[in-house]
Amino acid sequence: MSKLSASLDKSPFLHANLPPTRQLRINHSRKKLELMGELCEIRGLSITYTLRDGKRIRAVDDLSLMIASGEIVGILGESGCGKSTLASAILRLLPAHADREQGTVLFRGVDLLTMPESGLREIRGRQISLIPQDPALALNPVLSVGVQIAEVLRAHLPLRPKERRSRVSDLLGEVGFDRPQEIYGAYPHQLSGGQKQRIAIAQAISCQPALVIADEPTSKLDAPLQAEIVALLAKIRREHGLAIMLISHDPALFAGFADRMAVMYAGRIVETGTTAQIFRQPLHPYTQALVQIAKSAVAASARTARQPFSAIAGDSPDPSHLPAGCRFHPRCPERMDVCSQRYPQAFLPEPSRPVSCFKYGE
Amino acid sequence: MPRPLELPTPLLRVRGLSKRYVRGGLWRNRTPVSAVAGVDLDIFAGQTLALVGESGSGKSTVARCVARLEKPDQGQIWIDTDIDAAEPARRSARERLLQRNRVQMVFQDPVTSMNPRLTAAQVVEEPLKIMGVDARLRRDAARTVVNEVGLSADWLERSVMEFSGGQRQRLALARALVVRPRLLVLDEALTGLDLSAQAQIANLLLDLQAAHKLTYLLISHDLPLVARLADTIAVMSGGRIVETGPAFEMMASPKHAETLRLLAWARAAQSNLAALSGASA
Repeated sequence: MSKLSASLDKSPFLHANLPPTRQLRINHSRKKLELMGELCEIRGLSITYTLRDGKRIRAVDDLSLMIASGEIVGILGESGCGKSTLASAILRLLPAHADREQGTVLFRGVDLLTMPESGLREIRGRQISLIPQDPALALNPVLSVGVQIAEVLRAHLPLRPKERRSRVSDLLGEVGFDRPQEIYGAYPHQLSGGQKQRIAIAQAISCQPALVIADEPTSKLDAPLQAEIVALLAKIRREHGLAIMLISHDPALFAGFADRMAVMYAGRIVETGTTAQIFRQPLHPYTQALVQIAKSAVAASARTARQPFSAIAGDSPDPSHLPAGCRFHPRCPERMDVCSQRYPQAFLPEPSRPVSCFKYGE
Repeated sequence: MPRPLELPTPLLRVRGLSKRYVRGGLWRNRTPVSAVAGVDLDIFAGQTLALVGESGSGKSTVARCVARLEKPDQGQIWIDTDIDAAEPARRSARERLLQRNRVQMVFQDPVTSMNPRLTAAQVVEEPLKIMGVDARLRRDAARTVVNEVGLSADWLERSVMEFSGGQRQRLALARALVVRPRLLVLDEALTGLDLSAQAQIANLLLDLQAAHKLTYLLISHDLPLVARLADTIAVMSGGRIVETGPAFEMMASPKHAETLRLLAWARAAQSNLAALSGASA
């Protein structure tokens, strides 16, 4: 047990934002920790892709994160930062050229990454489910949507056909369809993008999982619809108490929804905090810039005298040529000499606010 | 932006534009659907009009008609005082080509709007190749235009697949600008990009407009975003323009239910953010 607490202590992101008593208890016993609501714990996860030309790209690098039962955790990061790789890695849905170099994903104390495939079938869809980015691609075009939701139930729950059908109707009602009976027989092409995403959500919650991973669930939708989908997810969490890991590039999506946020840049988490902390006082220069952009994006004001948009200079780094030291330093307005020399460890400028930036320590 | 009292002729004038599509199978259940019904628009040179609305409101159909990718069923489109769209048949192929160069379109998805087998140079030079410009001049033009959009000319030999989303959208802009158009039709050109790439492209659009006196027709569902780029906003719903006016006026006092709906989410997000940020006090 002492070995475990030692490794836990090394990773400040792990107990970020837990109240002090919880942090203390983590050091005592695994069992207690479960009782207190830890659901999923990712520890030191590194995922590498091998490209056709033999080049290796580390998409997720030594990442640790904890999700408690019933908690909504937001993963904020721009395209290419490894956030979708992280989502797939938890459910072991990575493509064949991806390789887990190290790390564990403990779900209710069991390592998902080493468990046999047969056991995984009990987890996927039943205990952890995924809301895909593009439901148009995830749904089968030749089956009615009701049948596709029933399929998930059939795979996991011993229900009679009649019960299954009424459960599907209930689910359709729950995700906001007024006339579930009519939607049951509809085909994906007859539904709008927002409706299709609701079907995907109904599938994801059909077996009352403990954790739902939503990978950019709104990025293909119009802005007003995005807000509706997020509101639906919030309602589902309230009613079922399931945990949600929401992945997005838009900070505004997390406001008023997520409990905690982790900010990813180029494969690593650079900062975690409660959503209020992240918006009130972002610590990492990258987070500060993103929050600033998000605030002006929803300001809903007309342009005045060609006021430029605030933006982060430069592009996200090419994952096969990551900059040395802090990966954000070439774009950082506050970079120092040390930033290009080594990667900043996670400092704790405030209790339970780990941030990987040399502004907060050496 | 204050406008002079005596207005010049608009660069783009659209009158009574209508377009219907036929929905259904090849023979059965063929029902005409009206995508655009009687749309009027004016954009003056060097100005930006944002056409906003939800999916299916007909805004992209207007854009495609203006860019001559669709033939309107009814209505007229003048560009630079010529009736361009209405009677193209009377012109020679060469004339039509030159006409078309005055309007260029940039699409939402720079991944699917580019041939992945081409290099950046081939993508940017293609419009000039179609016009029969010789290779050396084409390369010079490509070098100039990629610099204008903030890319390095050294990258011209790279495959388009090596560019990131934001860089590819810059490349798409370069391809549109290489024929020196007067009007750019930007169909959701800022959608689907990361926030910071989106802001960079928005700034680039402002800079290019100032440098070349470009005119933009911006198509988007994101009203708060385009309001910061536009002089005039027109809100579309069900194939019609339901509210239009100067951007500052529309944002200060939106009236139509559809405009309010398009703003509601941003206002909710804004109050969420304010509540979170204000919690510090």
